[in-house]
Amino acid sequence: MNGEAILPYIIIIPLFGAFSMPIVSLAGRKAREAWAVLISALTLVVASALFYHVWDTKEIIVYTLGAKTPFGQGVDFPIRIVWEVDLLGAIMVLTVAFVSFMAILYSIGYMKHDTGLEKYYTLILILELGMLGIAITGDLFNFYVFLEIMSIASYALVAFRNDTWEGIEAGIKYMFVGSIASSFVLLGIALLYGQYGTLTMGYMAIKILENPTVTAKVALALFIAGLLFKSGASPVHMWLADAHPAAPSSISAMLSGLVIKIGGIYAMARILFSIYSPLANKILEAYNQPYINMGAIGWVIIIFACLTLIIGNAMAVIQTDMKRLLAYSSVGQIGYILLGLGIGLAAYGTQTGEVALAGAIYHTVNHALMKALLFLVAGAVIHEVGTRNLNELSGLAKTMPKTTFAFLIGAAAIVGTPPLNGFASKWLIYESSAVFNPVLGAIAIIGTAFCTAAYVRVLYTFFGRPSERIANAEDPETSMMLPMLLLVLAIVVMGLFPWQISDKVMIPAARMLEQFKFEYIQALISLAGGA
Amino acid sequence: MIPFQFITAFLMVAIGIYAFLYKRNLLKLVLALDIIDSGIHLLLVSLGYRMELKEPPTAPIYTGYETLKSAMVGPLPQALVLTSIVIGVCVLSLAVALTINAYRHYGTLDVRALRRLRG
Repeated sequence: MNGEAILPYIIIIPLFGAFSMPIVSLAGRKAREAWAVLISALTLVVASALFYHVWDTKEIIVYTLGAKTPFGQGVDFPIRIVWEVDLLGAIMVLTVAFVSFMAILYSIGYMKHDTGLEKYYTLILILELGMLGIAITGDLFNFYVFLEIMSIASYALVAFRNDTWEGIEAGIKYMFVGSIASSFVLLGIALLYGQYGTLTMGYMAIKILENPTVTAKVALALFIAGLLFKSGASPVHMWLADAHPAAPSSISAMLSGLVIKIGGIYAMARILFSIYSPLANKILEAYNQPYINMGAIGWVIIIFACLTLIIGNAMAVIQTDMKRLLAYSSVGQIGYILLGLGIGLAAYGTQTGEVALAGAIYHTVNHALMKALLFLVAGAVIHEVGTRNLNELSGLAKTMPKTTFAFLIGAAAIVGTPPLNGFASKWLIYESSAVFNPVLGAIAIIGTAFCTAAYVRVLYTFFGRPSERIANAEDPETSMMLPMLLLVLAIVVMGLFPWQISDKVMIPAARMLEQFKFEYIQALISLAGGA
Repeated sequence: MIPFQFITAFLMVAIGIYAFLYKRNLLKLVLALDIIDSGIHLLLVSLGYRMELKEPPTAPIYTGYETLKSAMVGPLPQALVLTSIVIGVCVLSLAVALTINAYRHYGTLDVRALRRLRG
């Protein structure tokens, strides 16, 4: 199987599906739903094939748009847009395709009573497309374009129910913060382009190593600022707690599970490790050449991570709104992922750094599954009972047993109970942070204590004395139960093989990212021979 | 010496960020976003400007290239800015649409009124 041949379809299929949606939906609601499910299922198939190919061959796929090689005629540097997929990108592609498929399947039942659904399905496919694009791109401006495609679709989806004030207010807040963050990223890209005259990530890395100027450092600061905004890190997490609960639940699952990770964490990892390579900067430091101190950048990220994981988890404890609690919990979990990323950068080149980075990648995937499941459960509760106030949901376990069971699994996994998938990834992060600096390990454990308190409170409510509000509730229909059960299955199965997954997939992904620069450039340069 | 276009570009970004932080009207915030974007576009476009043979550069059009006395401006920044303008228009229209909806629900454009979400 040829990886380069299947790579374009990961964009073509959802793009075609999204823009043919208004025409298809003329044929009626059944056709519209079938089309959305078909398109996202096809995307999932292509994503699985892509992941298997990259995992099997351990090679980076390089695809050039519109030509055979990225090099122009008569020049020896890349001038065309390239897509490059390494193992981390492939993992992200698979996660995005899987969770999006679940969300679309869930939407069939959940969005039944809404109007304007052809726009809804168009936007949700565009959102998926933007995230897939970010995961596979190897060109800075192309990255910005996909980032904006993803962001605009998510602003519109947060404000989708525009007959309520809640959606509009959350949409406006999200849009202003998100646009400022995008502007920072664009300014960073403009500065780098002005300084180095290229947009290809691999080639940019060489240029920055040859001449690490102040401009490169300013651009790095702008990237980190913009992407911390987008990932909802702590001092600027307020938009997240407003926007994620206000969206329809299937969208909340995608926003919390995927958007903040692809648009924030993954993009940051790519910029930190692929454009500003820590390894090469270490070598430059050893030879007394000008270099960029990536260890210090790692510490900056660690400080933000500690703030985020304490504030996010602590705020989750005091919420009475179920979806808001889940949103704050997302902020807390982003803190863990950032902690892993920061240690991976600060302890670069050691075993600890590698384990921390692998833990961050593993937790990204796990949290996508867990938080998607929890938001889908919250959606089922809203759909059946009509409220998300925890004080009114007492005793839900009596009338909605299957839904409560799904919530129990999701909550246990997110807290990190051993037989489930959250345990392994959190363990990797605890272990590496305790080895790196015991204080960080202690902070991570305190965060988990708050997280446990928040979820135990919800479970206590669910298993409490039944209130009259929930007397008529029952488990939702099959199209809503099925995605939840599939996510439970994914969590349990991933939990059964934690160390196999860690050793076979996550550690190689971290290693590939760490040494990414050289392989990335080699993959690019090897094409020059064929030109 | 820093070329004056760059100074203007960063001044525009700074004005936009100032307006974004201190203005309270939703429409002014939308304008602030646009000013920041325009500043970045100016920066990008002016990166492609180059003086050669003491003649100002011309547009990057290949027809009749042999008879030209001067250089051509860099085509790539122009392509980037064109793309970015399209994205900017998209964000702008969405922002104005949301502002209209906010006015319907709240009866005011004051951003301080948008504070019902608490918790």
